[in-house]
Amino acid sequence: MLPVAVIQLLQVVTIAAGAPGVSGVIARAEARLQGRRGPRVLQPYFDLAKLFRKEALAPEGASWVFLAAPVAAMTCYLTVPLLIPVLTSYGLPLGYMGDILGGGFILSLASFVVAVAALETGSPYAQLGASRAKTFGAITEPVILFVVFTVALVTGTDLPYALAATVRSSAGQIVRPAHLLAAAALFMVILHETGRIPVEAHSGTSEFGMIEEARPFEHSGPYFALLKWGSAMKQLILYTILLNVFVAPWGLSATTRGADVALAIVALLGKAAVLGVAVAVIDNSFAKLRLFKITEFVAAAFLLSVLGVLTLYLGGG
Amino acid sequence: MPVMATSVVAAAAAAAAPSVFSGSANVIAVGVLLAEFGMFRQALLRDQVRLYAVQSALISVLAVVVAAARQLPDLYALAGLSAGLKVVIVPLVLRRLLRGVGRDSGGPGWTDIAGSGALSLASTVLLAIAVAAFGFFAIAALGIRSPVLPTAALEMSVAVALVAFVLMIMRRDVASQAIGFLSLENGISLAALVVAAGLPLILEVAFLFDLLVVVVVFGLLIRVHHGKAESLSTADLTSLRG
Repeated sequence: MLPVAVIQLLQVVTIAAGAPGVSGVIARAEARLQGRRGPRVLQPYFDLAKLFRKEALAPEGASWVFLAAPVAAMTCYLTVPLLIPVLTSYGLPLGYMGDILGGGFILSLASFVVAVAALETGSPYAQLGASRAKTFGAITEPVILFVVFTVALVTGTDLPYALAATVRSSAGQIVRPAHLLAAAALFMVILHETGRIPVEAHSGTSEFGMIEEARPFEHSGPYFALLKWGSAMKQLILYTILLNVFVAPWGLSATTRGADVALAIVALLGKAAVLGVAVAVIDNSFAKLRLFKITEFVAAAFLLSVLGVLTLYLGGG
Repeated sequence: MPVMATSVVAAAAAAAAPSVFSGSANVIAVGVLLAEFGMFRQALLRDQVRLYAVQSALISVLAVVVAAARQLPDLYALAGLSAGLKVVIVPLVLRRLLRGVGRDSGGPGWTDIAGSGALSLASTVLLAIAVAAFGFFAIAALGIRSPVLPTAALEMSVAVALVAFVLMIMRRDVASQAIGFLSLENGISLAALVVAAGLPLILEVAFLFDLLVVVVVFGLLIRVHHGKAESLSTADLTSLRG
């Protein structure tokens, strides 16, 4: 029997420690699909360790905001795992501090802080990335809202735990169109938010197509490490929300026993790795959209989420 | 604290879920509607026809599902016939009729119908969402209950018909307009499955053969238009000729 507080802490530790590994799996899968051998799965950890040992530099004229931003963003990413079902199928005490919208606000606060830091640098590419990220972030927000509406209409609450319990409750809840449409829309938003094809080439060196990747251009040393780690954590957090709330809320611990919780950690990382491989397959099978075509991608996600709400609200679907 | 929280979760989970049958029927109906939306962005004539075939196949699948779940053996025959006609014959006839179109004009992309939209794709989709929502609300207000399929499927069918109109209005190439008309018929078939699944087979068959006539007429119209204007775009129809 583990104390509840320890489990709550373990949620954060799982996300923080597992995130670089999941990124490593994706990078590896991507390389194998392209016929390369690819980096080792543990490479992101070595990268982070290396960056933490390096010296930090700031551009001339950048204020304290520039250096505070990575820490603030990291704090946000460490907060969100407290709110979502990472390891347990029952709500943990701090899990009721915020609902899905609350988690969304904290994630967007992190992205806002990073954007402000990018503006501080005066570097054109970082600013370009920040401005694009905010522009496209504004048009994906309605999609998220409609997904939340779907959750609210299905469960009567907007707690992620409630939707996960509903999905587990019967097969009828899984095949209903509202659930499938909302999950698909959320998946498209996640592709967008984590900077994957078809929105953004993840590992490219072409600055003109960059959105998320361009923002930390001017950061270095430990600050850059925090930003990289943070974006890996954001990716795992979004995967966790998709998997443990919408698509596969199984394998979570229903008790406070240590063995069950350990199993839940393994299950989460395994599911995230499978999803990561799926994302890598998508990465390799589609072309990057032109910048002005991203609105079409978002319009498709919006269509899915609106149809989800319509079938639910008017047809009980 | 966790105890109270668990009970909240359990209460929420107890909310009514539709049966697996109506859930999957609705999913197929949503697929039909999404195929209709997909027609806004197809850039090649061949893909447009293929998407129409996919949409028709989904309707046949739905008919089979309904036949199996509701013990309506007539619907098997209808599903088979409509699959044979709309998934195989109509696309074949269309492709055969349009085979020569554009090829001798020598341009690259001879069946290229990209960029024929009057608005940008994203705006068109938003407009179509609004129109589809109107269809949803209108049918929900009528309160029609069907013993065979959930009401959501009927709402979806009306949305398909309305979005088909948007497709025909917004895409300025004759091929998309013809496909829009044919997929409008798919929407009507879906509606027929919901409200009149027990309709005598002979009537349904008569409708299906009407469709074949429509296809031939459209195919000829497209050929004639292409022969005169050397393009599939309807923009060429606006200028007067002496």
